[in-house]
Amino acid sequence: MKTKPCLTLEDCKKIGAACEAEARKNKWNVVIAILDEGGHLLWLERMDGATPANAEIAIGKGRTAAVTRRTTKTWEDRIAGGRLAMLGMPVLPVQGGVPIVVQNECVGAIGVSGVQSHEDEQIANAGIAALG
Amino acid sequence: MMLKSVFTTAVLGAALAVSGGSSAQQPAQNPLDVIPEKMPFDIPSGTPITLDRAQAAVAAAIAESKKRDWRMNVAVVGPSGRLIAFARMDGAQRASINIAEHKARTAALYRRETKVFENAVQQGNLHYILTLDDVIASRGGIPLVEGGKLIGGIGCSGGTGSQDEAVCKVGAATINK
Repeated sequence: MKTKPCLTLEDCKKIGAACEAEARKNKWNVVIAILDEGGHLLWLERMDGATPANAEIAIGKGRTAAVTRRTTKTWEDRIAGGRLAMLGMPVLPVQGGVPIVVQNECVGAIGVSGVQSHEDEQIANAGIAALG
Repeated sequence: MMLKSVFTTAVLGAALAVSGGSSAQQPAQNPLDVIPEKMPFDIPSGTPITLDRAQAAVAAAIAESKKRDWRMNVAVVGPSGRLIAFARMDGAQRASINIAEHKARTAALYRRETKVFENAVQQGNLHYILTLDDVIASRGGIPLVEGGKLIGGIGCSGGTGSQDEAVCKVGAATINK
């Protein structure tokens, strides 16, 4: 049977710290959520000043990226490009969710919410980079 | 006919009890009819817990869980009931992600430990509690109160209710003095 890598809590803390550092560097207050490959929450932090709604949105973006194995920007772009039927799919199609891929396997995702969508994604990507 | 006469007797009996004041004839009083003088769990909201302190509470709960070789989900919410910090330990059951958050939210929104609800249902037979909004009648959710003000809630899930509570108490102790 196939075996695949899996995120540990320590991995999550490392990813989260990198995301938080990127946010702090830019003086952004956001929520960072890390989920496993099934879209289940592993780790979350709401930085002081982020809104309660950001917590839900970050999880939604992360879940979308995790279970669809692609960035939420992909979904946003396709819908913005005219594929309105995709609004009916079980996704949160707003940039800021990025899958975590290790050894060609999706092991989870990062969802960020709190600033402009492209900035949210910038923070998520800083977390991806930290995993090496 | 039979029914009617029974009914009449019952109504008359009640009326007599009221007018005559013979308490021996009164049916058992519904304890829910009692009107307490003061509000229960009357805790005002304070400034929401900061991220640093929320993470410290989560870390304390996880450290306790590790010590006992348990695998838990730990959630801290603000007074609004929304997540501030969350962590799932390696191998913790996934169903407990939402349960941990639910316990934290219920503890914060109702300003009391979720054990209060568990006791009400389990020992008090107050099943109506389960019809209230967003209740979880299982121990392991504790409000975070500082200086008499509610600043959030913490919830743990992954084991038995008693295991959840043991870990949750350690997390809550970082705030509740």
